[in-house]
Amino acid sequence: MTDALLTVDGLEAAYGSIRAVHGVDLRMAEGELVALLGSNGAGKSTTLKSIVGVLKPVSGTIRFSGEDITGKAPEQIVKRGISLVPEGRDVFGALTVEENLRLGAYAVYERKQYQADLQEVFDLFPVLKERFSQPAGQLSGGEQQMLAIARALMSHPKLLMLDEPSLGLSPAMTDVIFDLIVRLNERGATILLVEQNAERALEIVDRAYLFANGRIEFEGTPQQIRERVDVAAVYFGDGTDTDACEVKQ
Amino acid sequence: MSSKKSIREALLDHSTLLVLMGAVTIVGVVVQLVGTPLLKNIYTSFCISLMMVLGLQMFMGNSGILSWTHIGFVGVGAYVSGILSMQPMMKQLGVPNMYPFLVSLHAPIGVAILAGGLVAALLAALISYPLMRLSDAAGVITLFATLIVFHVVMTQWDNVTNGPRTFFGLQEYTTLWVALIAALATMVLAWFFRDSALGLRIRASRDDRYAARAVGIDVVRVRYLTFVLSALVMGLAGGIWAHFITSFSPKAFYIAEMFTLISMLVIGGAGSITGAVTGAVVVTIVREALRQVEAAINNAHVLPFEVFGLTELVLAVFMVAVLIWRPVGVIGAQEARLVRLKATSGGGRPAEADKEV
Repeated sequence: MTDALLTVDGLEAAYGSIRAVHGVDLRMAEGELVALLGSNGAGKSTTLKSIVGVLKPVSGTIRFSGEDITGKAPEQIVKRGISLVPEGRDVFGALTVEENLRLGAYAVYERKQYQADLQEVFDLFPVLKERFSQPAGQLSGGEQQMLAIARALMSHPKLLMLDEPSLGLSPAMTDVIFDLIVRLNERGATILLVEQNAERALEIVDRAYLFANGRIEFEGTPQQIRERVDVAAVYFGDGTDTDACEVKQ
Repeated sequence: MSSKKSIREALLDHSTLLVLMGAVTIVGVVVQLVGTPLLKNIYTSFCISLMMVLGLQMFMGNSGILSWTHIGFVGVGAYVSGILSMQPMMKQLGVPNMYPFLVSLHAPIGVAILAGGLVAALLAALISYPLMRLSDAAGVITLFATLIVFHVVMTQWDNVTNGPRTFFGLQEYTTLWVALIAALATMVLAWFFRDSALGLRIRASRDDRYAARAVGIDVVRVRYLTFVLSALVMGLAGGIWAHFITSFSPKAFYIAEMFTLISMLVIGGAGSITGAVTGAVVVTIVREALRQVEAAINNAHVLPFEVFGLTELVLAVFMVAVLIWRPVGVIGAQEARLVRLKATSGGGRPAEADKEV
């Protein structure tokens, strides 16, 4: 592996007294497309929230571009180039599409750059151009997901983190979003993806981490994972059972 | 989308603002030319209310936090500007206990009103940071408690405010034109603030404060800056109001007055400038009409008791009705658009035609 863009060491995170992540280690190089897989409550989203600073880690260190960002405020972390598209398409529904995109740009706001970025977003998502002055709340689910991703792209992230981008979308729209993720990655974006749809995710990622009960159970390329892990069991297990992720004999 | 907008596009973008300003101005000119003195007074007081509602809208409408404190800043502006604009002799007469250094302070009216705004903003800057960390019920309660603190200070600090007694002797500098220009200027300020970087950020934090943090917005900071800016407007409005009414006491800056401002904003729609203006118009008309009705009933002596508080009662019922049937207010959170701008090209297809995904 080349120089790591993101290094997470021994991350522990909790919601109040409930510990959700117990000692997670992650490494991502520039340009990689990596997935975090696992059942509900395995600690994937918690890990993303800790990286972007929305949740303060209990212990462990997070380094980004060689700098320790552990425990920094989200606005500080976003400025350094990490952008999270939260689960459930968190667009600002009362604001227009345009205003949502401008908000994305404000982390690194430069007017000239903004117009160029807008063009690029319109190329990727022509529908957003049509919807430009409508409130985001009036968009369909798929359009909102596109807007959420577009908003994240407006801040020129060095690392784009997507939390369950296909959640609640039709299969057709899921295809569109996955194609987009591949295209963004081909253009050089480093992407960390949390996904329920493990089969789909394994088709496109370079590597994946399998989470269970707040720990990483396995890490490897899609091929290694398919050979050694019963992927279905990761999801169809009861979610509290470590066996779900047991390595095949 | 071209990087430079044409003048035509800019006019279209701001057409709603221009129409609102035009309408308020035309009414003002008509009232000035043919109105009775009473009508002129009502209109002038409407313009000042409008300024206050817009100042309140900047914070409350954009942040979503109901603020009861704001009328306190109006009071600060009124007292500070009054103390500065009055002649020392007049002050000695009106406020016998006033600190000697305050008695000797004197400034031209413009400076006095400006100082009123600045002191209000400074006060907001000093006290509000911790308050801005609170949201929802906790935020409303602390801002209400802050109003009580303001009120107690105003009624007790008789070396400055003459205590609960009337503070009088101001000169009437605020004409209809002054009030109109102040209202128009505030309209422009509130309109462009809403669309500014800060305005956009605070509106995002209102929509979803967790998502706002995730896109890098420091929610407490944007609330704080907005609060201070809106306190500045309230302070300036206080100075202008004080030099219209010329005598007042601390109860002019308390719950009843704040309730009127809040009802204007809630009825019209706190999320937009159009809503704030509409609310101010509607409430002013309702209030003045009810005042006449109240006077007529009392003068006719048809009831065995005096009718009192009809205005507050009807406004409260009106507000409850709006909150039940149209919680975003008559206008709502989006600015009313006379000319619906098409998307940058091609024109939007209707939303219904879009396949649901």
